[in-house]
Amino acid sequence: MRRMFLVLENDLRRRLKAPLAIVIFIAIPLAMTGLIGVIFGPRAEESRLPPIPVLLVDHDKSIASKLILSSFDVDQMKKMFQVTVTDEAEGHRRMEAGKASAMVVIPERFTLDLLETKPVTFQVVKNPAEQFLPDVVEEFMRTMGVILSAVIQAFEDEVRGLRFMIETPLESFSWETLGPELGKAQKKMIAASKYLDPLLIRLKEEETKATGAKTRISRADLFSMILPGMAVMFLLFIVQTVMRDIISDREDGKLRRMMTTPLRPMELIAARLLSGWVTGMAVLLIMAAAGTLIFHVTWGPFGYFLWLSAAASFWTAAFFALFHALVRNRNQAGAFSAPIILAFSIFGGSMMNPEAMPQAFRAVGILTPNRWFIDGAAFIRDGGFPLIPILILAGSGIVLAALAVPALSRRIMV
Amino acid sequence: MRKIQRILHVAWNDLRIMVGDKAFFFWTLAFPVVFIILFGLLFKAGDSAAQEAELTVVNLDRGRWGTYFVEKIESPGIKIIMSDAEPAEYNRLIILPADFSARIEAGRDQALSFKKRSDASTKAAARVETRLYQAIARVISELVLYGGGDLAKFLDGHPEFRDLVQVKSRFPANTVTVVPSGFDHAIPGTTVQFIMMMVMIYGGITVMEDRKKGVLERMLYSPLSTGDVFRAKLLGRWMMGMTQALMLIIVGKIFFKLNLGSMPLSLLVTGVFAVAMASLSVFIGSLCAKEDMIIGLAVLLANIFAGLGGCWWPNEIVPRAVRRAAMISPAYWAMEAFHKLTFFRGGFSDILPHLGILLAVSVLLTALAGKYFKVRD
Repeated sequence: MRRMFLVLENDLRRRLKAPLAIVIFIAIPLAMTGLIGVIFGPRAEESRLPPIPVLLVDHDKSIASKLILSSFDVDQMKKMFQVTVTDEAEGHRRMEAGKASAMVVIPERFTLDLLETKPVTFQVVKNPAEQFLPDVVEEFMRTMGVILSAVIQAFEDEVRGLRFMIETPLESFSWETLGPELGKAQKKMIAASKYLDPLLIRLKEEETKATGAKTRISRADLFSMILPGMAVMFLLFIVQTVMRDIISDREDGKLRRMMTTPLRPMELIAARLLSGWVTGMAVLLIMAAAGTLIFHVTWGPFGYFLWLSAAASFWTAAFFALFHALVRNRNQAGAFSAPIILAFSIFGGSMMNPEAMPQAFRAVGILTPNRWFIDGAAFIRDGGFPLIPILILAGSGIVLAALAVPALSRRIMV
Repeated sequence: MRKIQRILHVAWNDLRIMVGDKAFFFWTLAFPVVFIILFGLLFKAGDSAAQEAELTVVNLDRGRWGTYFVEKIESPGIKIIMSDAEPAEYNRLIILPADFSARIEAGRDQALSFKKRSDASTKAAARVETRLYQAIARVISELVLYGGGDLAKFLDGHPEFRDLVQVKSRFPANTVTVVPSGFDHAIPGTTVQFIMMMVMIYGGITVMEDRKKGVLERMLYSPLSTGDVFRAKLLGRWMMGMTQALMLIIVGKIFFKLNLGSMPLSLLVTGVFAVAMASLSVFIGSLCAKEDMIIGLAVLLANIFAGLGGCWWPNEIVPRAVRRAAMISPAYWAMEAFHKLTFFRGGFSDILPHLGILLAVSVLLTALAGKYFKVRD
């Protein structure tokens, strides 16, 4: 037993002497979490997206087109859109330079056709390199089209009168006839205000989960969701590096020298397993502490998290003990370990939200430690004890360790 | 001439050794293809959301206005699912209350409960929301047109809303004619990301190992100078990046109908980008003495460059400050150039600034790699 602890102590001391690789592996998940959180985290302002750059080409240059332009000038719209008036050639150039998501083209005679209640068409030229924002602009213009159509139809007579006024010379226009027409318009406006102030039908929006429970995600919540996935992915990388000692010691001849001492194979295997386990625990705790300090990540009850970390680290150490018992040499270990880790991470939900993945990917995900660690961490955040994830990780870890020990004993004795 | 032949010989040998590695095809082809499928399907999901966004309607209304309002919501791109009660699973849901008609007929305002699943498509939610506002605008304008009559009789006969103002969308002239597929977005991003990762990891580790094992030093016994060895190593890593890119582009063309615009120009962008990554790999391999360090640094740099550069998500949704910071990433310039070629049918002059910046980065990194390159520790 004492010899086992001596080997363990020596292993850990070696790691502490040259910690740079481990530090980099710890820095990666933190950097990735920071980047994703900054990009997808909720922002202080109301709009979830940056203001959408929109170009407006006005071939009409009359009342209706000015109205459209001024509608973008309302405070709420200013937060959503950043409008630049331009011509089509310059618009294309700007779009190609990635400086605009869409270009709205108001046709010639737009106002005149509207005043004659003739159908008119806006052109929305969408930036083909963008996938999301041009559609927002298109939908906004459709809504604006509906509102304009509504106004024109509701005040059709008045609009015709306006057209007549525009086209008739001032001196030949009878102002007295305007009185009754204005009276009619006033009645319509009063009728309209009955439905518009307050709006007769409104929407009361809320974001829900499947159960219907209300949710509002802060940036810290987002970090709390991303970091466990990243942490378990790089836990696998780090523990794999630590456990590779099993093979490198053999290849470098260190193992043969160690076996000339009274050290028994079982003690060496146990020391290596413990070394992987302890390093894994330390790594997870460092990531948890850094996550809390830098991103204000919430982990839930710390004791529960400790249990989950212990189970996940043990699973990882046992898995890589078995893995290194099965591979032939260091090169083979290097070639196969990273693909396995990345496959675990893709299917297990470290790289993206499992709910956004195809069903088949999700089904494979339950075979990975990543999925159980991520699920367990989510459960702890909600205040629960992740009994099932811990049991699955610890249980399968014991099976892996049980398989690894005889296989490694054979490798050491050879 | 013979010198060039010798450099080519060493570079070719490096490539042959790398290609001979069992894991090479997994890393350069199989794994990136998994990424392409995953991200392509995700982007494709976004595309299909553009065709049909789902809305569950719970119509509890005891009158006729509820059905009328649902008719107003119906429009292309919206799939309406009627439900008698609030279901456990939905993406977006609107509830028309029992007194919906009564309140309209009494002229009393009301707020309809509109619920959105926080994890459902934001794009589809935005479409449904705007269509709901459009339906409200249509109903209210019909009410205004109807005037002061008895609203209980409105549905028996009323002036119909006409869409006088219509919207037509299109792409700019001389650009794409069909909506780009999810794979058109995913393949360039994945190719750029994996060139970075693999060239840095493989290229860096082999430089380090060759130095530690004395292979580089032994090369000097041949007619090669240190400069020649450096150039050969650089060329070998560049060839590796290009091999990987070619494999992914061919797979993309055959299986995913990849559209990259001008193929020679796309290869030119890939080539210049691969030079920058080859230099970076030699630089990292010269600086680091441990494999784990190289892997760690390569993963860190490749992921940060890919995330910033727009390889994983559309750059348009990224905050402005992050987009500005992205300009430090060579992946950003490569992706921007691909966008110009793929989506704008750009020519050489359109990507010239991007090529210039990538070349400048390559020159800088090559100078750094050359300065730190050593044949022995």
